[in-house]
Amino acid sequence: MFRRQAVLLVGILAISVAAAALTLLWGNQPLLGLDLQGGVSVRLTATEPATEEMLDQSVEIIRNRVDALGVAEPEISRTVDGVMVSLPGVDDQERALELVGTTAELRFRPVCEVLPAAIPGTRGSEGSGNMTAEPFASCNLVRSGIVRPATGDDGVTSPEADHAEDFVILGGSGTGSTVGRRYVLGPTVLTGDALEDADADFIEFRWQVGITLKKGATGIDAFNAAAARCFRGGESCPVLQGYSNGVIAIVLDGEVITAPQIRAEGFERDRIVISGSFEKQDAEDVALALRYGSLPVELVAENTRVVSATIGQDSLDAGIVAGLVGLALVALFIIGYYRLLGLVAIVSLVVSGSLLWSIVAHLGTQSGLALTLAGVTGIIVAVGVSVDSNVVYFEHLKEDIRDGRTARSTVDRAFPIAFSTIVKADTASLIGAALLWWLTVGAVRGFAFYLGLATILDLVATYFFMGPMVRVLSRTTWFARRPGLFGLPASGAVPGPEATAGTP
Amino acid sequence: MIAVLRGLYAGETVVDFPRWWRVAALASGAALLVSLGSFGLRGLELGIDFAGGTAYEVVAPDASVSDARSILSRFDADGARIQLVDGETIRIRSDIDEPVRAAEIRDALSTDLGRVETFEQVGPTWGDEVTDKAVRALVVFFLVVALYISARLEWKMAAGALAAVAHDIVVSVGVYSLLGAEVTPATVVAFLTIMGYSLYDTIVVYDKVREMTGRLGATERYTYTELMNLALNRVAMRSINTSITSALPVLSLLVIGSVVLGATALREFALALLVGIVVGSYSSLFLAAAMVARLKEGEQRWVQVRDKLSGRGLLDGPTRAIGRSEASVPDARSGGPSGRASGPARRRPAPTARPAGTGGGAPPRPRKKRRR
Repeated sequence: MFRRQAVLLVGILAISVAAAALTLLWGNQPLLGLDLQGGVSVRLTATEPATEEMLDQSVEIIRNRVDALGVAEPEISRTVDGVMVSLPGVDDQERALELVGTTAELRFRPVCEVLPAAIPGTRGSEGSGNMTAEPFASCNLVRSGIVRPATGDDGVTSPEADHAEDFVILGGSGTGSTVGRRYVLGPTVLTGDALEDADADFIEFRWQVGITLKKGATGIDAFNAAAARCFRGGESCPVLQGYSNGVIAIVLDGEVITAPQIRAEGFERDRIVISGSFEKQDAEDVALALRYGSLPVELVAENTRVVSATIGQDSLDAGIVAGLVGLALVALFIIGYYRLLGLVAIVSLVVSGSLLWSIVAHLGTQSGLALTLAGVTGIIVAVGVSVDSNVVYFEHLKEDIRDGRTARSTVDRAFPIAFSTIVKADTASLIGAALLWWLTVGAVRGFAFYLGLATILDLVATYFFMGPMVRVLSRTTWFARRPGLFGLPASGAVPGPEATAGTP
Repeated sequence: MIAVLRGLYAGETVVDFPRWWRVAALASGAALLVSLGSFGLRGLELGIDFAGGTAYEVVAPDASVSDARSILSRFDADGARIQLVDGETIRIRSDIDEPVRAAEIRDALSTDLGRVETFEQVGPTWGDEVTDKAVRALVVFFLVVALYISARLEWKMAAGALAAVAHDIVVSVGVYSLLGAEVTPATVVAFLTIMGYSLYDTIVVYDKVREMTGRLGATERYTYTELMNLALNRVAMRSINTSITSALPVLSLLVIGSVVLGATALREFALALLVGIVVGSYSSLFLAAAMVARLKEGEQRWVQVRDKLSGRGLLDGPTRAIGRSEASVPDARSGGPSGRASGPARRRPAPTARPAGTGGGAPPRPRKKRRR
């Protein structure tokens, strides 16, 4: 009997220490939710009925766009009628919102002129002349100043003014050879709809981007029509200085991702290659942008939530400090009241706490389950419930001793009774947690999960640590001789309240 | 008060709970009326997660509320509520729920006012969806828990527990309504926590009641109410301790988290939790217990016991306290009905005289007579 208790005790201590050690060793850390580390979350709904496939594809596209932001744990998932995007810890929140929400269209535009980056201090202009024109309108319109595209202070057309049919001035995207240039572009001649696939290839020791276009009038034929003009270098697609052919810019999200020269008059469907001085990364990025340029369905932001990193940090600090102070107060109270038994209760709390931390950290690292403010609350509440398991047992011990049992005999007898009470009460908590987890959404779910987890761990710590520990303590000679040390009344006697050691 | 606590600490039956049940019923009735009245008249201040709309928090040390208002009026958002919190944060809430306008205002605020720390925009249908789900979850929760308690304990206790939980929720919601605090998803979490806690607490109390009625009930020497009183006295210290240990972290969240560290989001939330914990412990001892006692006293078995005892004139005056020597009947579960004939209970002199109504219980302790 005694040996069994000792085995349980050593076992649970070993497990909790091992769990904590492994967590540290693997560098697992709890993944903090949006409200604790700042970030962006957007719930997008489709404007028209969308199939699961379309939504899945949208999820994929958004994920690819978001990857560029370098978010550690982006959470992008399909909902019934849209997409849920959660980006905890994202630095550039503006950009994140733009990326996520837009149904960016991939556009092919002839390049009329290449300008250097705008000089700082340039004033924006409203734009003048008839900016809107047919595809393949003559570039001379802009070059001669009859049409001036609208520009902002940075010298490029703002996203709001970037219409497909207009002459625009756009900057290069963040990577590759287009950086630091501004392109004066003609009206769109082709959109991303024409594309079937794109990928990055390593051919002849260089990275290239291969494009496959769709068949028919809206695909390869439209592209070849544009290619023919640019190859020859007509008014709509002039040969720029230093080039031998016309240039077509491929534009996504108002940025020129690449601007290849057209080196052939016509292309076969299955292979158009953009070659150039691509780094591997650039080639992959361009291919990705081409492939996933536009979403298959229009999505609008139904709910948006932005929390700055400072607010998140403040909440986290407040939660941690308040939690620690609260724990310290609980420890003071419980040790003051139950003495050594109180210490057992606190160690029991530490055992379940270390297991909880390990699990939370593991889930955070492996499954991306975030710890939110609601989850922290669930845990704080669970502290009270965990301590209660100890209180129920200790009060039972006191009562039995007052009823005339010896301390040692009551330890074995009271535990099953107290544990049955604890199981009943904890089961009710678990039922509640499980139902909330299944039936609700959002913050409530996080709360339910952590409350349920903490409740289960409370049962574990009570059964495997607290019970055995008290039984082991009851074998010591002190237990019988100095009951006051354990916050218990003297054995068998029926003392007045003054006789016990710890008065409230 | 101290004497009562000492008595409870020593495990004595010092509080006449049934006498307080009436007072508690009146107090709770009044609290329920006030809560429901406030809920009916003032309603709840629903946050944007439920009502739809937009919320911003802008850190702008030099700006005033009127600055913010002038920016908002550019966007026809004059109905917005603007508050200055902690001297430098401006909190804005408007009912605009179109994403584009919300984003425009956000841009304007960040260029003309200050750093936008949080921004939240919720569409008009989202709240209904969440509320529907929460209500459904609540109904299922009540049903399942009722079944569970009926199975593990008995249906009368299920009724008492759910009534107590409902009381706690109504009072907490009433407090929220009276304070005019905004209901956010965190508030819902707080209410659910209160529910869970109250239920947990009630089950612990009921389990003790069952232990006592099982052990001593078989003797047919005490009414259900008297046994309930014994159980409540014995479990009271546990309830107090647990309330304290549960309340301490929440109190720390309230005082340190929200007041000292300024995480204002936590303030109303922690307050609701604190109220809920106190009310939850109270309702277990005073409402849930009273309701079960009332239901059980209607059972034929307990009516008979009552008739028998009152025929002997034992039930006039305050509830008889059951002293330690009687209470420590060996396990009735093992002893069965024969336990009645043995045990210390037999030694008890018929308490025809009723000095303070408690005297008969513990002859070896004259010292305690002075209480009350």
